[in-house]
Amino acid sequence: MSERITRAQIPMSELTITPGSACQGCGAALAARLAFKALGPNVIRHGIPCCPDSVTQTPRVGTVFEGGGAQLTGTSRALKAIGREDVLAVGFYGDGGTYDIGFQGLSAAAERNENIIVITKDNEAYMNTGNQRSGATPKYARTSTNPIGPRSRGKPRPKKNIPFIFAAHYVPYVGTASVGFPEDLIAKVTYMKTIKGFRMLIVQSPCPVGWRFDPAKTIEIARASVQSGIWPLYEIMDGKTFKLNYKPKELKPVTEYLSPQARFRHMTEDEIADIQETATANWENLLKADEMGRLTL
Amino acid sequence: MSYEVMVGNKAAATAVKLAKVQVASAFPITPQTTITQYLSEMYAAGEWDFDFVNVEGELTSQVVVQAASKVGARTFTCTSGPGLLYMHHPMQVTGSSRLPVVMAVVHRGYKGMQPDHSDLMSQQWTGWGHQYVEHAQEILDSLLMAYKVAEDARVRIPIAVGYDGYVLSYTAEPVEIPDQGDVDKWLPPYKPMPSVLPDEVDPSTFSRGWGGGDPQMPWKIHHEAVLKIEEVLKETMDSFEKTFGRRYGNGMIEPYKMEDAECAIIAMGTIAGTCKAAVDKMQAEGKKVGLIKLRSFIPFPVNDFQAWTKKLDGFAVVDRSICPGKGGPVFGKLRDSLYDLEKKPVTLQFHAGLGGKEVRVHDFEMIGDKILKAAKGGTVEQVTWV
Repeated sequence: MSERITRAQIPMSELTITPGSACQGCGAALAARLAFKALGPNVIRHGIPCCPDSVTQTPRVGTVFEGGGAQLTGTSRALKAIGREDVLAVGFYGDGGTYDIGFQGLSAAAERNENIIVITKDNEAYMNTGNQRSGATPKYARTSTNPIGPRSRGKPRPKKNIPFIFAAHYVPYVGTASVGFPEDLIAKVTYMKTIKGFRMLIVQSPCPVGWRFDPAKTIEIARASVQSGIWPLYEIMDGKTFKLNYKPKELKPVTEYLSPQARFRHMTEDEIADIQETATANWENLLKADEMGRLTL
Repeated sequence: MSYEVMVGNKAAATAVKLAKVQVASAFPITPQTTITQYLSEMYAAGEWDFDFVNVEGELTSQVVVQAASKVGARTFTCTSGPGLLYMHHPMQVTGSSRLPVVMAVVHRGYKGMQPDHSDLMSQQWTGWGHQYVEHAQEILDSLLMAYKVAEDARVRIPIAVGYDGYVLSYTAEPVEIPDQGDVDKWLPPYKPMPSVLPDEVDPSTFSRGWGGGDPQMPWKIHHEAVLKIEEVLKETMDSFEKTFGRRYGNGMIEPYKMEDAECAIIAMGTIAGTCKAAVDKMQAEGKKVGLIKLRSFIPFPVNDFQAWTKKLDGFAVVDRSICPGKGGPVFGKLRDSLYDLEKKPVTLQFHAGLGGKEVRVHDFEMIGDKILKAAKGGTVEQVTWV
């Protein structure tokens, strides 16, 4: 599992060319900047349609939206065939390419335990096309396809638990990370580079435009998400070894995460209580798993 | 060389072995299925450095070979009918990216499971070379030639080799297997262009790819590269014959008993073999009709048909696929090829073998009689459902 690092240990080198196509305060652009610091230059970056399409100083290859898992598979197999296994095949995908349209191919790549790294910048909706709901959109969030009205209270169903779904493929590594916790993110990518097989990191990446908050607050919101138990930071090795990487003595209330975002502005007290209950119950389960150091999937 | 009695799917798998493909990927679908089994057996036997990725669907298999080809491996995939339709989206990326992937398409219609050519015909816009072959030996030989043509620096275009399901895929015929040493000398190792490895890449090749430049230019370059297949395929057919002692016309078309013919039947795939029997019979009866087997539908042998037009009075086009509301693709393209000529032969359209319907020797005799009658000025309906 990953080893804690300090902020001073974050590499100085910059492999992303900022701002790329990102907006002000873009969490996903920051996820790219941090992840590629840790990945280093010996990487082929694989892209599929996503927002923003980060620009790096490493070679980039791309394919169809639904082909993320397949193109990493092809690259990894070919690198082996030509004797260049030193090069990392890295997919830098969005939540659509991971949770939804790209899910089948990624699930199959995980099941085959392809020697690949998948980094998902999860901004919780289809931001490339203008904030339409995705399988990663949380319950009650307003999106451009979940407007608020007499028949709609935002998205009616919770976000898919994609880290656990991939962990249940019994792959070497699945982790969650947040742009609000750069040391943890870098430590996890650094660890992923030391092992082989299917490795995945889901990075919650706040989107000021879609989530509707002040672009200056990206880090605050990312931190509140982790500190309130909405987006816990953990890692799962081989579908069984479990570790919580950030354990505050007490969780902050979920309102600290929900209130600054206009996508949750319509929520009633009952709806907020629903989210609070879910977050608390989930956190307790994770604490138990962390205490035992394992999961039963 | 050696001989073996083998089914068409084994001939395809044998070509994969002879070409020393490095990464193959496929998803089983009738009637292509047994290729995936032969490839899995070859992987297990470990006779050469070969990786076979058993995937969860055709879309993935196409993207796997696309990425592997980009990185630097010689690749192979194969599918049939609905599987090919499922691949459509990434196929256009393989074409646009100019990746010399080679694919066997074991024809299966999509109204039912029997073979017709509607599967590969539906992929005309993906920017691949499309070839149709007649028998198991031609499957093996054409796949080997497809690598040579696709990987040629003048072409760099993926090629699909189509053959009829069941009639070829699961029917055994004697096949001559070339020596590995001869193939190795004839087919040089694959090199990607450009390289995408971090230490070899040209940074100008991995920009975001949109914005700037003439958006139409990539289409023009792509179109011209596909047209180049004609020249390179003809050269390759010559070098193939020199090395292995067999040839199939000039690669684009294979004329059969056309020396004294006044009219030609144009057919593709296994029914071209049936047509050969009909031509033998008709010529024995003094009827001056021969066969021009169409091997390359994309690019289309415009030059060859224009040249044949000088000697012929009529073409009977047998289409084994149809675009409903538009008609047979070979018929349409043939007439378009001849439009500018001063001498315009009579052309008749025959719809045959759709949905796997049997096309027999006497059907081709009927086709031959009709085109001979029409060429002599007789009244014949232009479109016939055989």
